[in-house]
Amino acid sequence: MTAKPANPLEMIAYVLANQIEDGEVVYIGTGLPMVAGILAKKTHAPNITMVYESGAQNPILGDMPWSVAGPYTWRKSPLILEMPYSFGQLANGYVDKAFLGYGQIDMYGNVNTHMIGSDFHNYKNRLTGSGGNNDLASLSKNLILVGLQSPQKFVKNVDFITSVGHLTGGNSRKEAGLVGRGPKAVITSAGVYDFDPESKRMRIQSLHPGVSPELAQLASGFELLKPAGELPVTPVPTKEVIDILRNEVDPRGVFTSMPS
Amino acid sequence: MGKFNYNKEVLANLRLDEKDIPRLDRLIDYDSAREAHEKKNHAAIDKRISLKEAIAEYVKDGDILTDTGFSYVRTPIIAYFEILRQGIKGLTSIGSPATNQSYLIPFGTVTHTHWSYCGAEMRGTDRNMSRAVKAGKTKILAEWGHGSMALGFKAAQLGLPGVYSKQLLGSDLVKYNPFIKVLDNPMKTEKDPCVFIPALYPDVSIIHVHQADKFGNAKIYGPLVNDVAIAAATRKLIITAEEIVPPNTLRNDNKGVVIPFMYSDAVVELPYGALVGAMPGLYYWPRKLWEKIMRYWAFEEGAIDEFYDLFVVQCKDQYDIIDKVLGGSKWMVDAKRLTKAEEYDNEDEGVDFGYEEWTRNATDFEDIKDYK
Repeated sequence: MTAKPANPLEMIAYVLANQIEDGEVVYIGTGLPMVAGILAKKTHAPNITMVYESGAQNPILGDMPWSVAGPYTWRKSPLILEMPYSFGQLANGYVDKAFLGYGQIDMYGNVNTHMIGSDFHNYKNRLTGSGGNNDLASLSKNLILVGLQSPQKFVKNVDFITSVGHLTGGNSRKEAGLVGRGPKAVITSAGVYDFDPESKRMRIQSLHPGVSPELAQLASGFELLKPAGELPVTPVPTKEVIDILRNEVDPRGVFTSMPS
Repeated sequence: MGKFNYNKEVLANLRLDEKDIPRLDRLIDYDSAREAHEKKNHAAIDKRISLKEAIAEYVKDGDILTDTGFSYVRTPIIAYFEILRQGIKGLTSIGSPATNQSYLIPFGTVTHTHWSYCGAEMRGTDRNMSRAVKAGKTKILAEWGHGSMALGFKAAQLGLPGVYSKQLLGSDLVKYNPFIKVLDNPMKTEKDPCVFIPALYPDVSIIHVHQADKFGNAKIYGPLVNDVAIAAATRKLIITAEEIVPPNTLRNDNKGVVIPFMYSDAVVELPYGALVGAMPGLYYWPRKLWEKIMRYWAFEEGAIDEFYDLFVVQCKDQYDIIDKVLGGSKWMVDAKRLTKAEEYDNEDEGVDFGYEEWTRNATDFEDIKDYK
């Protein structure tokens, strides 16, 4: 019997999990990054350590946390740190990868989680604000961004720079004084993107099955760079991995069931 | 010339004027915070009073109030409801996260805001807050990230004027935070931009803890978030505690005792004081209730009035909330079982975490008795 193929959110969780290598310390934001962290730990990366902004970290593995401060994020943890100390772990180079969502993102991986509408006092809608987003983007060694892809989300200019990615490209991130390497990858419902090493512009790395470069471009408000030659297709999860995801990682579909 | 040196462009971006300056000043005014700390009675005396008395005595119109805990975990929400009940006005709210701001705004309780995060993660953003800011019911004084605000409290705890750090650089938060200065690292020969984050001193903070003694030594289990720093920084501190224990209990088992008594002005015995949120080790998050908060009470225009009516008017305390809203003793037993199972202090095999999610499609806008 074959499992129902992965839905877009499950696909994102799987691709995100594949960004995690065994033995790493990963900083986990709410939502899909939680799913990806647990999936990675239950499959190819059993020796990772998860760190959360509330100061919770290194829980023994349980079910899906409902919140970044929920007990599953500190279940039998050997210790829980205060919030500024957990950001200090990032700033001191102990965190290998951080995972973050976006409301809007531009071609340099700058992120907006503040507002839709560019007038600070007359916006269309306020989003959540920074939370830990700015800190993770500013301080982590490698940043992986994750979210859905549409022209409303992939925009030429973000309405508010909550978090700096590669700023205006080239060497500008470093010149602004930020540490770490900035965004390494963007994982969306359409594909996997990395950044050109020189210009630091977003570039297609692989596209999910059924997504053509034209379709990916249609779902973006800026030009996506394309490497020469045939574009690889993102590998899909095996039946075993889908089973683990559905039965063990997010059995109630908290973060991976599609909104009806 | 004022006491502090704010960037005029940032004040203009935020549309802050002369009237707002004292509110900004007080948050970073070491002199007056130190004076408040010096003036407290430093002797170990019995500080127990009722919640009503504590709020009336220590929370004044116009104060800067910090949020504590983490959103809906160990946050003194029952005390916030009492602030609403007493009709205190014109507070500045600061905290990260600051999930607990939205319902304090429509009634004039909070009129000024330091924004770091407002929402309930995957349960949704706070539309009510979005509308309130746009309508000018609360004025944003500064945009923060969790890390930068945490460093401001930590600097205050350590008695430092502030810290140099590496976040915020290049972002728009710098344009909307009058406290942040971009300065070069004075030790480096090459240009090395940093941000200077000043020490932050709130006027009043309420911290909900697991145990306290009558003097105000306090013990916390689970994430401390910013509360150790806030306890040291704040000018006035109210401790609300699930239970009051003899001082020797804390001496015999001091693991988790993180707040020394001299910071505390008042000690309030307040079982279930973190409702309608969760308390590590004691009671689980009423998830369905939070879904209804984010998806209805804080979502629909005007629905927050119903929230106010239910939790502040109809319910006079946390026991009313347990009995009338959450489902009484059944809820109490379930909430304890769920948190202990998730923490793995109880056997979790066979414990059912399932519940029916509150969605916008739900036709039942009436109060549901089963909020687990």
